[in-house]
Amino acid sequence: MRSQFWGLYVREILRTFRNPFVLLITVVQPFMWLAFFGSSFGNVPGGTATLKALFGTGNYIAFLLPGVLSTSMLSVGMFGSMSTIQDKRFGFMKRILITPTSKQLIFLSKALGSASRGLVQIPVMVVAALAFGVSFSLSPLEWAAWVGALLCLAIGFSSLFLAVTAPSTDWQTPGVVSNFITMPLMFASSSMFSSSQFPGWMQAIAKVNPISFSALLGRSFVLGTPPDWTYLGYLAAFAGAMLALGYGVSARWLKVE
Amino acid sequence: MSLAEGGAAIDVRELSKRYGSVDRGVLALDRVTLRVANGTVFGLMGPNGAGKTTLIKVLTGISDITSGDASVAGFDVRRESLKVRARIGWVAAEVILDDDFSGWENLWLQAKLQALDDWQERANDLLKYFSLDDRKDDKVGHYSTGMRKKLEIALALLHQPSVIFMDEPTIGLDVATRRMLWDIVTGVHKEFGVTVLLTTHYIEEADALCERVGIIDQGRIIAVGSPDELKARVRADLVVLETRNGLDPKLLSSLPGVQDVRAQGNEWIIRVASAEQLLPKLLQTVPSDEVRRISVEKPSLETVFLDLTGHRIGQEEPMRDVRKFYAQMRRART
Repeated sequence: MRSQFWGLYVREILRTFRNPFVLLITVVQPFMWLAFFGSSFGNVPGGTATLKALFGTGNYIAFLLPGVLSTSMLSVGMFGSMSTIQDKRFGFMKRILITPTSKQLIFLSKALGSASRGLVQIPVMVVAALAFGVSFSLSPLEWAAWVGALLCLAIGFSSLFLAVTAPSTDWQTPGVVSNFITMPLMFASSSMFSSSQFPGWMQAIAKVNPISFSALLGRSFVLGTPPDWTYLGYLAAFAGAMLALGYGVSARWLKVE
Repeated sequence: MSLAEGGAAIDVRELSKRYGSVDRGVLALDRVTLRVANGTVFGLMGPNGAGKTTLIKVLTGISDITSGDASVAGFDVRRESLKVRARIGWVAAEVILDDDFSGWENLWLQAKLQALDDWQERANDLLKYFSLDDRKDDKVGHYSTGMRKKLEIALALLHQPSVIFMDEPTIGLDVATRRMLWDIVTGVHKEFGVTVLLTTHYIEEADALCERVGIIDQGRIIAVGSPDELKARVRADLVVLETRNGLDPKLLSSLPGVQDVRAQGNEWIIRVASAEQLLPKLLQTVPSDEVRRISVEKPSLETVFLDLTGHRIGQEEPMRDVRKFYAQMRRART
């Protein structure tokens, strides 16, 4: 079981790093968020004072970075689903399953493989944020907790995507699911703005949205405010629940071709 | 039950497979019963859509069984699927490899999937056997079709399986590559002592490679035997007469030596003891302006199939299953 998981997991990772285009998009997409969206408050009336009043920091990119990293974990799930559909369409799923490998192991390797791929974005984004003038004074424990939070989020979303797309063999499904999930989860979260300015119904969603937990935890580390460590527990529970969901769904509904 | 006790590498009993619901679905396999002896090359011959690939899918655990029983390598396909999958190899109709990986990396992945510890020596031996050792570090995306097929067979043999399933292994290949693969299948069987079940709709392939052949049509096994046994069943020539308009079958049946007459559109399949004796009389009886084409077929697996089913192996029914159509298009492209 360990052997099969390791083989499939390494395959996922190697396929990513051997495809420069996928790697480039994985890295460039959140960077563009920082560059374009992060710069949109450059000429806000009142300057730094307004930014501090709105975001608790004079550098909006410092506020935005944990949110962008959190929302980018959504696209990680989409890539994992696309890789699974590719395996189904080209028959590789059959090749895997005509060995003593279970569907659940395939799911686990895809979920953890795409989650690991998502973590590549962290160092790139941190370096980019440094270039935009953000300074970091995190302790090793805070770095580890931030990475752990993002890993939980990536595992949760890649599991959710894989569970939803398990019965599908259509190339379009991951994109459609991504559009359906990404937009509401991204905007109904604290990833880009403080949820205190949201209407009541959006605040209700933001309060249970795992993207908010990850964004708020990361933001407290970056801005040096006291972190709410329970967020890490919520994110671990989210990852665990989605893994259990995907594990069960793939055993029953993962289509072979 | 162990393989030694059972004596059969593959044992299929009253196996049916239905896709979809009872009223609107398709019965792809209809109470198939089949026994493949250990250490033989068995060919499953039939036209596209006959149920060959479905049978392989069921026996390899890719598809569920609707009813009936099957065991492979001594293990029940339903209840002991993982044990079956640890003892079988599979060669697909379309070559399925990871093109981003080298030949050696594909073997590494296969070893991981089969949970093998000491696989490197065996992998090197297989690469040498298939003359791929000097290209093992190249990405398989750069391999020729023949090399890809060889690597796929090497993957199937890596874990020393008892049974290898080859699903139309030579479909879409040129004549030279097909001949090379025939030599490989024969060599693999002799060298590694493995039972081979291959499906094909090439008559000459079944004739050249298989010790025993099962003829499958519309989901049913209609005959099983060695190629010679099957040919001996016909014991007659088949004269195929195509006419411009209809004919009275009694006219043909009354000719001396005619054993049977079957109509298929404007084509008449006349079973006769000796085609040479029939032809002069046939041409005297049927007006010459009525005859569009006459052909004579001596006993072969093709005539066996024609005799048993009333249609030719390459004569397919209209495509009703869209998924099957796309699958065939994909195969044709590779």
